[in-house]
Amino acid sequence: MSQNAEKVLDHFNLFRQPEYVELFENKKKEFEFAESDDKVEEVREWAKTWEYREKNFAREALTVNPAKACQPLGAVFAAVGFEGTIPFVHGSQGCVAYYRSHFSRHFKEPSSCVSSSMTEDAAVFGGLSNMVDGLANTYNMYQPKMISVSTTCMAEVIGDDLNAFIKTAKEKGSLPAEFDVPFAHTPAFVGSHITGYDNVLKGILWHFWDGKAGTTAPLTRVPNEKINFIGGFDGYTVGNLREVKRIFDLMGVEYTILADNSDVWDTPTDGTFRMYDGGTTLEETANALHAKATISMQEFSTEKTLPFIAEHGQETVAFNHPIGVKATDAFLMEISRITGKPIPEALEKERGRLVDAIADSTAHIHGQKFAIYGDPDLCLGLAAFLLELGAEPTHVLATNGGKAWEKKVQELFDSSPFGKNCHVYAGKDLWHMRSLLFTEPVDFLIGNTYGKYLERDTGTPLIRIGFPVFDRHHHHRYPVWGYQGAMNVLVWILDKIFDEMDKNTIVPAKTDYSYDIIR
Amino acid sequence: MSLTVEQTKQRNKELISEVLSVYPEKTAKRRAKHLGTFEEGKPDCGVKSNVKSIPGVMTIRGCAYAGSKGVVWGPIKDMIHISHGPVGCGQYSWASRRNYYIGTTGIDTFVTMQFTSDFQEKDIVFGGDKKLEKIIDEIQDLFPLNHGITVQSECPIGLIGDDIEAVSKKKSKEYDGKTIVPVRCEGFRGVSQSLGHHIANDSIRDWVFDKSGDKHPEFKTTPYDVSIIGDYNIGGDAWASRILLEEMGLRVIAQWSGDGSLAELENTPKAKLNVLHCYRSMNYISRHMEEKYGIPWVEYNFFGPTKIEESLRNIASHFDDKIKEGAERVIAKYRPLMDAVIAKYRPRLEGKKVMLFVGGLRPRHVIGAYEDLGMEIVGTGYEFGHNDDYQRTTHYVKDGTLIYDDVTGFEFEKFVEAIQPDLVGSGIKEKYVFQKMGVPFRQMHSWDYSGPYHGYDGFAIFARDMDMAINNPVWSLAKTPWKRNGAHA
Amino acid sequence: MSDLRQIAFYGKGGIGKSTTSQNTLAALAEMGQRILIVGCDPKADSTRLILHAKAQDTILSLAAAAGSVEDLELEDVMKVGYRDIRCVESGGPEPGVGCAGRGVITSINFLEEEGAYEDIDYVSYDVLGDVVCGGFAMPIRENKAQEIYIVMSGEMMAMYAANNISKGILKYANSGGVRLGGLVCNERQTDKELELAEALAGKLGTKLIHFVPRDNIVQHAELRRMTVMEYAPDSKQANEYRQLAQKIHNNSGNGIIPTPITMDELEDLLMAHGIMKQIDESQVGKTAAEIAA
Repeated sequence: MSQNAEKVLDHFNLFRQPEYVELFENKKKEFEFAESDDKVEEVREWAKTWEYREKNFAREALTVNPAKACQPLGAVFAAVGFEGTIPFVHGSQGCVAYYRSHFSRHFKEPSSCVSSSMTEDAAVFGGLSNMVDGLANTYNMYQPKMISVSTTCMAEVIGDDLNAFIKTAKEKGSLPAEFDVPFAHTPAFVGSHITGYDNVLKGILWHFWDGKAGTTAPLTRVPNEKINFIGGFDGYTVGNLREVKRIFDLMGVEYTILADNSDVWDTPTDGTFRMYDGGTTLEETANALHAKATISMQEFSTEKTLPFIAEHGQETVAFNHPIGVKATDAFLMEISRITGKPIPEALEKERGRLVDAIADSTAHIHGQKFAIYGDPDLCLGLAAFLLELGAEPTHVLATNGGKAWEKKVQELFDSSPFGKNCHVYAGKDLWHMRSLLFTEPVDFLIGNTYGKYLERDTGTPLIRIGFPVFDRHHHHRYPVWGYQGAMNVLVWILDKIFDEMDKNTIVPAKTDYSYDIIR
Repeated sequence: MSLTVEQTKQRNKELISEVLSVYPEKTAKRRAKHLGTFEEGKPDCGVKSNVKSIPGVMTIRGCAYAGSKGVVWGPIKDMIHISHGPVGCGQYSWASRRNYYIGTTGIDTFVTMQFTSDFQEKDIVFGGDKKLEKIIDEIQDLFPLNHGITVQSECPIGLIGDDIEAVSKKKSKEYDGKTIVPVRCEGFRGVSQSLGHHIANDSIRDWVFDKSGDKHPEFKTTPYDVSIIGDYNIGGDAWASRILLEEMGLRVIAQWSGDGSLAELENTPKAKLNVLHCYRSMNYISRHMEEKYGIPWVEYNFFGPTKIEESLRNIASHFDDKIKEGAERVIAKYRPLMDAVIAKYRPRLEGKKVMLFVGGLRPRHVIGAYEDLGMEIVGTGYEFGHNDDYQRTTHYVKDGTLIYDDVTGFEFEKFVEAIQPDLVGSGIKEKYVFQKMGVPFRQMHSWDYSGPYHGYDGFAIFARDMDMAINNPVWSLAKTPWKRNGAHA
Repeated sequence: MSDLRQIAFYGKGGIGKSTTSQNTLAALAEMGQRILIVGCDPKADSTRLILHAKAQDTILSLAAAAGSVEDLELEDVMKVGYRDIRCVESGGPEPGVGCAGRGVITSINFLEEEGAYEDIDYVSYDVLGDVVCGGFAMPIRENKAQEIYIVMSGEMMAMYAANNISKGILKYANSGGVRLGGLVCNERQTDKELELAEALAGKLGTKLIHFVPRDNIVQHAELRRMTVMEYAPDSKQANEYRQLAQKIHNNSGNGIIPTPITMDELEDLLMAHGIMKQIDESQVGKTAAEIAA
């Protein structure tokens, strides 16, 4: 017995004690009918080869460890960015339990969202009564200012019509006729979470701008000097949106952040649970029609929303999750061009400090090879930054990236000498990435929490940037946009590089001559 | 100022009617049947259970897929479990349940991987059977050491009428009788995870027991063979349990399903006794094995020394004196450790009030462990319990305990706000709600990334964790000092 | 966009729905209207007379081949036939697999996003037999078809189907604004057919828009995969379709919310016209032997 009341052994150490090691060995030998160690070793080695890689890349039907989620997740992400808004997901209830858990694990925050809890009978007869009852319950219990309705794959397969259902619910008195219930169809078998974000955001703007689903007159645009800002689906939304607001305030720009979920996913512990906090007000959302332009930080997260806004007469500008000096330069200069506001000296100084930091550290990054995976825009932003640092984004992979994205990444590679030997992989998953890391190794991997399995199997050190990050805390509170955001990314990369240097030189009397005190 | 039992009952009654007053009439009427107070001497807890959740109320429940893939099948480590349908379900349940295992992931073991058919629109319109066939071929090609495959259906599969049974049979034949199990656990079936457990149990019966016959005739049995049923090895729970059974002289031939393998499932009909921890999720297969193979089963509870002792003796009573003596030996061996743990933590936890809301077992099973530490359960409820669970609960709870079945987010928040317990034990979706309110919290599904909590080794961790949650200095920081007598007083 | 007329033809399978709709639309084209036909039947036979083709490549089959519907261009799926009528077929799975209803949703979403509805006067949806699920109701959702024309005949099953389709329309009429434009009776030469069709129209609160007499020239044209309008523009039958087209054209905004009737009422109607025999309740559930005894 190794357990001890004074120094309680956790799972980390408890199961390394001899009695458990023996238990594991015995269980395997006697009962598991496991493959022999030799066989396992043989296959493990084979799975590192080019031959395996070719088989792996020949896959047509199977997906293993994808780096994407489904539309409805993005739908919820966008919806909670509006004042007092509760997302209402029409379909099976288990889905909602999953989205809520997923967000809570990343943000370490409550995640409020309701389901219409459709079951077998609704599959046959349609989910109208679930919508009618559900909206009434949500409205009474959670007293929202708006209910944003989206769908799961179940409701989409049986073809439920949200527009008609919501109107019927209002006629039946579930909630007042004038209460805002924007909606979007978000089938899980089309696109990914970034598509769901796009659809819901567009649905909400359509609701407010174009006559609330035919119940009021469409708004007439009276252009003003404001700009709209859209962050896109972003694991760093808390830090990023706050940083963008700071930058806009410094510049004196009048702005509306659409889908501002930076507060609802960073609520204080002060004795009160806030189901709703912050968010774009409904009035601001309606008035966003009059803005002179809309900026999207993620082109592929706003593929439908931006053209919709452009049709209403605004200028639209899209970035690809801009990270780094040049990307931030371009962002600020666009804002300045559109608004006519100069970029203040304070930001010039921040820029200089970032360049200074890069200059101080570039020797350690220059020429290092990286593999990156994540959402399409984030991949582009990170790859551009790495090129700027003189590093090589050797493998860039997005499971939810398409042909247009692939082309854009290739153009980025072609724009820099450091992009020469780099490759882009659209629609591939992390099991493909595993083969890439074995056959064409790199120095570091950038990705979300699931990348730790690649780190374990291939020994490639993981720098956690992306969504979700479950196993490191609070990084979502830091921005990656703006010069200061780029500084954070730089530091995260450098920390890992230095940690690896130390790990590689730590053996006394063998390698520790390089275990330097100054780096 | 503690309330008398009668005062508590009165308070509960008022609290329930206050909560119900917010609902539309129809909903209030339905929810009223799920909320109540346990009355000493009654055969159950006086609440309805296992019926559909009401739309729009923020139920905490999941779905049948979660019950099958997430709970029952997912931990079987040498098989590949395909999340068949769109990408999300598999993604959100990927490696999040902490079913510990030993094995080389991706080579001979696959628990913390996400295999999905990633359905696209065309798969919905034209059906996914051909894709599934190809997926099975690709699995065979890339993961040659897998011992079997399960097809975990997501919602669309049943809606578009795919015939996954036919595909499974065809492919099984093609691969020399390989175990390929189609599971009809579409998320819209049933009212919670619970039906998924049942469907998964049945699929083991039909596609493992009945289809494969005796695959391991060379397997030698002994009179002391038992199987652990319904332990998912969260944070190593099953290991901390297995070690005790082995120490008392039993031979654990299978673990269902934490750190389990297909061979262990296949050999279970050879056991002399099935010991059942999670009754809710695996009573079905236990009953089946009793009927078909004559294997008796016994429920046990490895949370906290009182229940562990009781359980060890109860399990031993099915065997000869050698095992009975073994049980006493094990109890005696660990008693000093238990005494030390209780001596250390009980004074820090004595009299603390706890509210629970967990799945189908722990709302009753963990009560003994809290009581060993001098703590009191003032409210409990099941996410997906049935009436037999609420009957069993009567042996655990005190007169006047608040009972809430399939609690809604709103109800739970109001109950905790009014009762002000010292600790809430529930899941990830609830955790931050209560912490924001300044109420200490432990996740009682995942052990909050700690564990094991089962067995003697686990109890030490459990006690330590409850102490660190409740007696953490952070809770004294929650209220803003200059507002103490103001708005937040 | 606001001037765009969107109509749909529904009706029991085999009733001559596609023939009637294509001839009518050909007549509308003759009147100078610019037309888009959207076939919403997995059989994909809603445009064959216009295109002189056996079956057109469907949106869904092309999407499946290309990977996804996002990989398609409008010109891949749209064919132009008689009098520049534009034709698309949504297509769908083989019978017994997959989800044809979802296919309809996919296709219509695709067409809208790709701007298929620009520069035309009429969109016509041709939808299979019955509104069997939410997917087949897609053409009658808000901002889709404004008027539904039900093709029927004096046969019992066709009348049942017409009543059922009216129920589907009713469901969407309040929230979505879809209306029943009227019935089109495609003569089968059953007893008292015209009388019956008019009676049913009356019960449903609508009117019989046109009674299309049976004429073998329709079959002659079909053998050549042509509409009568093209095959024999001077024929009497062509004039019938011209009349129907004109009536539909003039019927804009005159649709109504149908008042579908119960099964009992429908049976009473059929019995009143002698189509169905009065059932002797004492005989119900009796076997031949029992009746003989």
